[in-house]
Amino acid sequence: MLLALILVLFAAGMWGATKRIDYSWRWQRVPQYFFYHSQDAVKAPADATVASIVRKQDRTTVVLALENAGREELHVDSDTVAVTAGAELFEGDTVGSVGSWHFGPLTRGLWVTIYLSFLSGILGLALGLVTGLCRISRNFTLRGLASLYVELIRGTPLLVQIFIFYFFIGTVLDLSRMVAGIGALGIFAGAYIAEIIRAGIQSIPRGQTEAARSLGMSKTQTMVHIILPQAFKRTLPPMAGQFISLVKDSSLVSVIAITDLTKSGREVITSSFATFEVWFTVAALYLVVTSLLSQLVFYLERRLAISD
Amino acid sequence: MIKARNVEKIFTGRGQVVRAVDDVSTDVRKGEVVVIIGPSGSGKSTFLRCLNGLETFDAGHIEIDGMDLADRKTDLNRVRAEVGMVFQQFNLFPHKTVLENITLAQQVVRRRDRAAAEEKARKLLKKVGIAEKESEYPSRLSGGQQQRVAIARALAMDPKIMLFDEPTSALDPEMVGEVLDVMKQLAREGMTMVVVTHEMGFAREVADRVLFMDSGKLLEEGDPEHFFTSPREDRTKLFLSQVL
Repeated sequence: MLLALILVLFAAGMWGATKRIDYSWRWQRVPQYFFYHSQDAVKAPADATVASIVRKQDRTTVVLALENAGREELHVDSDTVAVTAGAELFEGDTVGSVGSWHFGPLTRGLWVTIYLSFLSGILGLALGLVTGLCRISRNFTLRGLASLYVELIRGTPLLVQIFIFYFFIGTVLDLSRMVAGIGALGIFAGAYIAEIIRAGIQSIPRGQTEAARSLGMSKTQTMVHIILPQAFKRTLPPMAGQFISLVKDSSLVSVIAITDLTKSGREVITSSFATFEVWFTVAALYLVVTSLLSQLVFYLERRLAISD
Repeated sequence: MIKARNVEKIFTGRGQVVRAVDDVSTDVRKGEVVVIIGPSGSGKSTFLRCLNGLETFDAGHIEIDGMDLADRKTDLNRVRAEVGMVFQQFNLFPHKTVLENITLAQQVVRRRDRAAAEEKARKLLKKVGIAEKESEYPSRLSGGQQQRVAIARALAMDPKIMLFDEPTSALDPEMVGEVLDVMKQLAREGMTMVVVTHEMGFAREVADRVLFMDSGKLLEEGDPEHFFTSPREDRTKLFLSQVL
């Protein structure tokens, strides 16, 4: 009850605030940036006579007898046919048009964000697993390298890392924006995931390792069959937080001109002038992705809880 | 089967040096049941853990079925596959079912196929008396049941020697019997066993030989009859008067 009241008051406050600055809401402008419909004209490729018109429900096939011999079949939407049988056409005359649906910039931006987060998530997980294992290794060199990596990444801002990765490493290795973006995000996430994995492994009681080793299992077999599966379960909640952060942090790659959701939003604003609506929409889209992610983890956690 | 010569294990920490195992020598013949008793901190568990390489030792030699544990070239995994170990805290794998607990090492270490491993596991579960629990997770079992699964898990590797590290110490009193019964049956079948325990009744009934350890030293050894009725050392007498 109280919650509902607070939410209503909050909404009323928002409404009042926008009234004061005299902002006119134009939500109807937003959907076209998700999907839009366009009609593309179909034109005669050369001078020709219309040989026949075959209408099949929504689609119509117009057969042209070309001047320089030969036939050409054109497909157009039935309600757009602009010619009659026997008519003579010049090259470039419109026969009809075909309508089709396209993804708008927001949808494409959302896709880029998901794609970017997914690939950098995989990269981060791989890097984090290797680094996490190195952090607990007995080998001094491996341990040192892993600590250095984690400290370097955690001690510098992601934005700066993205610039360095794109302008320095990207130039040296001739990487595309997308690869540089995925690389920077993956390396950033990897450092945090390494710490999560290290803590997860160290939280498994020593007795588990001893039991596995006393059965004759090697270090690797023990890690793969006994320690990691248990550590995975324990690290799920912090891991979920890390992946959610990754999705949100991916908005920073718009600074190296990757057209992700955030950059698409900025572009849409320049053409629609619906600043507030678009930013709210972009925020909602991020929210949808991140809550789907936490739902997935929640489901995984419940499935893994059967052995408790 | 087991040959231990002048084994020494030193723990250092916080500026202190502790001789956890101090110059221990003993032999265990095939089929023999040896029980190690002694006060807490006497090094008996540490010595036991040296026998399958879970604990390294600083001096001396241990030979298990002809394999020298002090030799760096010895593959410890191979030694451990031949030496089953049962822990005080059971240490079952909580993310695997009872059946999977018993089949895993058979498959990855002994390279048995799944069907053979499961058949073996079911046979052993029947032997330890919990055949009906095969698809349960360990957390759903009582302590006594968990410990019996742990014994079955070790036996599944067809070990030549079984080591028991205070297998009943973490159990509620009413469950001690069911675990000891399984161990007695094993002893009757001729398994070579080394058991660290506080169960004097078990030592008396099943042991072929009893070792008494205190402050890392092997103070006295003998057959249980002699050991419990007329111990030689004063320290042994004191200990026995406290626990019996």
